[in-house]
Amino acid sequence: MAPREVDHESAPSPAPVEKGFATLSTLRIGVKVFVEKDGEERKAEILSMQTRKGKPTFYVHYEEFNKRLDEWVAAERIDLNREVEWPAPEKPDKKKQGAAQSKAHPAKADNKIPKGQKRSRSQVERDSPATPGITESQGQGKAPEPSKAGGKENRDGSVAVISTVVEDGTPKPEDEEMDLVDVQDAAAAAKAAAPEIYSREDEIEKLRTSGSMTQNQTEISRVRNLNRIQMGDAEIEPWYFSPYPVEFSDEDMVYICEFCLEYFGEEKPFHRHRSKCTLLHPPGNEIYRDDYVSFFEIDGRRQRTWCRNLCLLSKLFLDHKTLYYDVDPFLFYCMCTRDEHGCHLVGYFSKEKESAEGYNVACILTLPQYQRKGFGKLLIAFSYELSKREGKLGSPEKPLSDLGLLGYRAFWQETIVDLLMEPGRTDANVEELGTLTAMTTNDVLHTLQNLNMLRYSKNQHVIVLTDAIIEQRERQKEKEKIKGKKSIDSERLMWKPPVFTASSRTWNW
Amino acid sequence: MTQRQTAQRFRQRKLSTKQNLPVVREHEVEKTTAEEDAQRHIPRVETGVEKGEEIEHHLQAVISASAAAAVGGKVAQIYIPTPEAKASSVKYSDLYPRQFQQPATYIRFSSTVEDCTGTPYCMTSEDEAWLKVLNAKRERGRNSIGPCSEDAFEEVISFFEATAQTKQPFAAVDNPPVIPYDEMEDAFDDTIDPSARAFARDIYSHWKAQRVKRGNRPLMSNLKFETGQETDDADPYVCFRRREVRQVRKTRGRDAQVTEKLKKLRKELEDARYLVHMVKQRELLRKEQLAIDRKIFEQRSEVKKVKRDLGVKGDDEDLINQKPVPKPSKLKTDATIAQRAPGTILRPPTRPDGRPPDTEIVLLDDQKAEKQRMIDRSVEERITQHQNWNVGFHDLTWRPLTPPLEPSNNGFQTVIVTDHALPSPPPSTEDDMDVDGAAAPSKPTEADEPVEPSDSTPTTTLAPKALRSSTPLSYLASTPAPSPQPLYPEAPVLSFRTRIGRNNRTWLDRRITPSTPTTPSTLLHPFSNLFNASKAWHANHSLDSDLDFVVADRMKYESDNDEDDGEGGFVRDLLYPVDHYSDESMRLRSAFAVAGRRDSVGQAGPPGQQQGGGQGPGQGGGQAQEGLLVAPRVPQVVNASVS
Repeated sequence: MAPREVDHESAPSPAPVEKGFATLSTLRIGVKVFVEKDGEERKAEILSMQTRKGKPTFYVHYEEFNKRLDEWVAAERIDLNREVEWPAPEKPDKKKQGAAQSKAHPAKADNKIPKGQKRSRSQVERDSPATPGITESQGQGKAPEPSKAGGKENRDGSVAVISTVVEDGTPKPEDEEMDLVDVQDAAAAAKAAAPEIYSREDEIEKLRTSGSMTQNQTEISRVRNLNRIQMGDAEIEPWYFSPYPVEFSDEDMVYICEFCLEYFGEEKPFHRHRSKCTLLHPPGNEIYRDDYVSFFEIDGRRQRTWCRNLCLLSKLFLDHKTLYYDVDPFLFYCMCTRDEHGCHLVGYFSKEKESAEGYNVACILTLPQYQRKGFGKLLIAFSYELSKREGKLGSPEKPLSDLGLLGYRAFWQETIVDLLMEPGRTDANVEELGTLTAMTTNDVLHTLQNLNMLRYSKNQHVIVLTDAIIEQRERQKEKEKIKGKKSIDSERLMWKPPVFTASSRTWNW
Repeated sequence: MTQRQTAQRFRQRKLSTKQNLPVVREHEVEKTTAEEDAQRHIPRVETGVEKGEEIEHHLQAVISASAAAAVGGKVAQIYIPTPEAKASSVKYSDLYPRQFQQPATYIRFSSTVEDCTGTPYCMTSEDEAWLKVLNAKRERGRNSIGPCSEDAFEEVISFFEATAQTKQPFAAVDNPPVIPYDEMEDAFDDTIDPSARAFARDIYSHWKAQRVKRGNRPLMSNLKFETGQETDDADPYVCFRRREVRQVRKTRGRDAQVTEKLKKLRKELEDARYLVHMVKQRELLRKEQLAIDRKIFEQRSEVKKVKRDLGVKGDDEDLINQKPVPKPSKLKTDATIAQRAPGTILRPPTRPDGRPPDTEIVLLDDQKAEKQRMIDRSVEERITQHQNWNVGFHDLTWRPLTPPLEPSNNGFQTVIVTDHALPSPPPSTEDDMDVDGAAAPSKPTEADEPVEPSDSTPTTTLAPKALRSSTPLSYLASTPAPSPQPLYPEAPVLSFRTRIGRNNRTWLDRRITPSTPTTPSTLLHPFSNLFNASKAWHANHSLDSDLDFVVADRMKYESDNDEDDGEGGFVRDLLYPVDHYSDESMRLRSAFAVAGRRDSVGQAGPPGQQQGGGQGPGQGGGQAQEGLLVAPRVPQVVNASVS
């Protein structure tokens, strides 16, 4: 275990954090201050400053809070009676950035070294700086600690399946931190390792080749640009930055047409638009319909404007989404509720036309005005229904957001527990469960493990349906009985997996 | 050794994903003291959440809560807090009217947003104010065009924007001056409505002002796309970049292939364009033709008026459209080829099997005629064959052979009914008078009907008359002004015979044969029959009653041949829905029979001459009608015992 102090020492800057008292005038971007939030004081970093109506306001990010809670605060909420943390001087950072970039390539090559034994990716990644990059890192006076690495190796010796987010594998100068596999420490390290360390070229390259829509790091810590949006009959506060036209950041409200998702910075043009817009549902083919919802399939290439609008909208609520590249290689599955006004978009998920990594969902979102109503589960269920129809196992693209993780966990738990509780089931294997549900083995394992259902008993592994889980499920079923169970009926899905030509697959349209 | 044994005892096997694991309830497994230990060798699966976010306060709270729930703890539902989304104060129903009707089938849709949103520009409040001022000014100036609508305004602005975009695609980069109005005016095309053009000059000044204010940037808020500049990459607002195209290896063959494809594409586009052009030409010509036709019609009306005023009679040939002489089919195909403009490449119809198309085109009409001739010939042959075979015999079997029905006249004698010989209306038809009364007023108008150049089809004018079929014979016959067009040029042929039945009773059989024309000559010249009807029909066409039925049936749909001639439609009458067994019909029939009998007794002389004695065809038509009513298709053999 890496001591916590090490972590602190090397966190944002190699030098120890400089603390001190500040006045309003000395506050600047990057300073960490204590801000009053919901009755308590939290440490927050100032990301932006503005003078509004003659008063300074600060855009702050609360530590350990999701970015969607970042906000503009007035000076009164900042507690200047407590010490603030000054940002680290920038010079050393830049130097490091250069080093990191130069190192990125050898590290990448390293990852591709064929593994003779069954070794986890994380191991390889941890080892990598010790091979070609070692001289450089030594040059910086930071030698890896073999003893620690070895210890880790012993510990994870039997790892068979592990999923990794490759980005995290890029070696960083702070080698010690890379040894922190303990979730908390590793996370802290990643956070500490700041966006600059990430090689932008590499990232864009990855975006291009993987077709991923994952947000790139440098854009994560951006100030939210829209104040409020008005869509349909709801007024929504955006969560994250989205590259809507630059002028819109000055507007109090951005109006979005519920059907074509066009955006307007002013009310008058929006009303004019509404008088002309004839769209009443997502502009694609309906592939599923039941009494409750409809699903539309939309090709990003054929409906470029609509899909771009959709992406811009969803970017407001998805942090790890990038709009760096165009929407062409994606299909969008949009869920709608219907009434006499039209088909109201409730949520959607996008899916790569051809996913090299077997993802069945790229981005998934229930619009905020419809959240906590069970729509997310329907969306997830539908994505697996498509995978079943394709005869493939699928998994959502990583990273998941916090809400995404919870949504998926709930769905996985329900699906697997239901399967295991089927009368007459005495045994199950992980792969079979995966095949039945179109879930990847990894996700099944994740779920079982997370629910503490995998145990070792009488010299063998068993799957335990714990009392708590059964009880939980029973309670859920009770609720469903009262509220009415909403589910996807595969009979009503009129869909064949779309086939794309070789040329369209290589993006060479 | 011992060391190894203990290790084995404690070492757990790896979890296999392929192996069946027993599913058990909690009470079935012993409580493991060291759960940590049990879980240790199961791979730790990552959550998939970004590491930096995994530690977030709220997520951890929920995760630990659910973990607690998984081991049986009672935890209240915890949510991750999100910024609020509340109901808006907008009048939703005004913005989004209730106009969606869900189709029964799944929706299939491919129109794009651009297709569905009309003019791209949406006016701002600033535009609105400006437009108000403009319209007020126009109001004062008493301008004839009226106020400029918001739609027209948007249309014009959209046009300016689009033109500016095409003419100055890099306006954002190299800051050229705003396009002058003249250049805009030159660019006017179909996308801008003529009614909106009237405002273009006014709107231009406003547009230019707006444009200048924005540094000649587009007025509509746009997303930032790549501009190919260095700054693109770092700009978070730049989005939806094109993915780089994977380079394809360049070879000479590929180049040629691409060139070919492009050439082909170009040719096809040109063809399509040309086709549209020709269609446009055709429609223009058609329009011209319509105008000319109208002019002709008007001129003719004039001529008619003049003629009527001056009392000029005859020579009405040029008042109606003469039917064009049908061209021989060969010539026609040549003509169509000749009509094609030079320069168009006629693409020969390619056959799927790759054979060259037939050089000679066989016309369907020719084929049909040929077929018909063959059938006729074969039937005639059979008939003569049958006659030869039966020579010297009197065939009394009922339809000895189906196809060749021989014309035979089993002792029937034809009777010709003529008008001047007709008695006054029989009393039994008096109750039919009211029907006649209803129909009568329509007659004069028809008689007065001027002859119009348009060839009104006789069938339509016939319709009301046909309804009058129950008009008493004599009444019609004595009508002074018969309709200009003869309805039924031929009288039905009445035939009678006497025969001795059982118990030595004498029977008088009556048969009414509609004067069915059976040869093309009679079809084309129905009038000619009037003169020699009796003789000819007696000799050739007074068919056996069975045959009569067959002929009638066969001729049922053959009337369209003479429709154009204006005097056909005879066979059409066979279709009249008349109940031959209704009281009225039967009464009329018997009356008719009586009349006919009297006539035949009284006019035993030369019937043909009487028929041809300068009678108007219209009168004959009236009679024919009567006859038809009696027996359109079912052979009517009225048996009346004559004592």
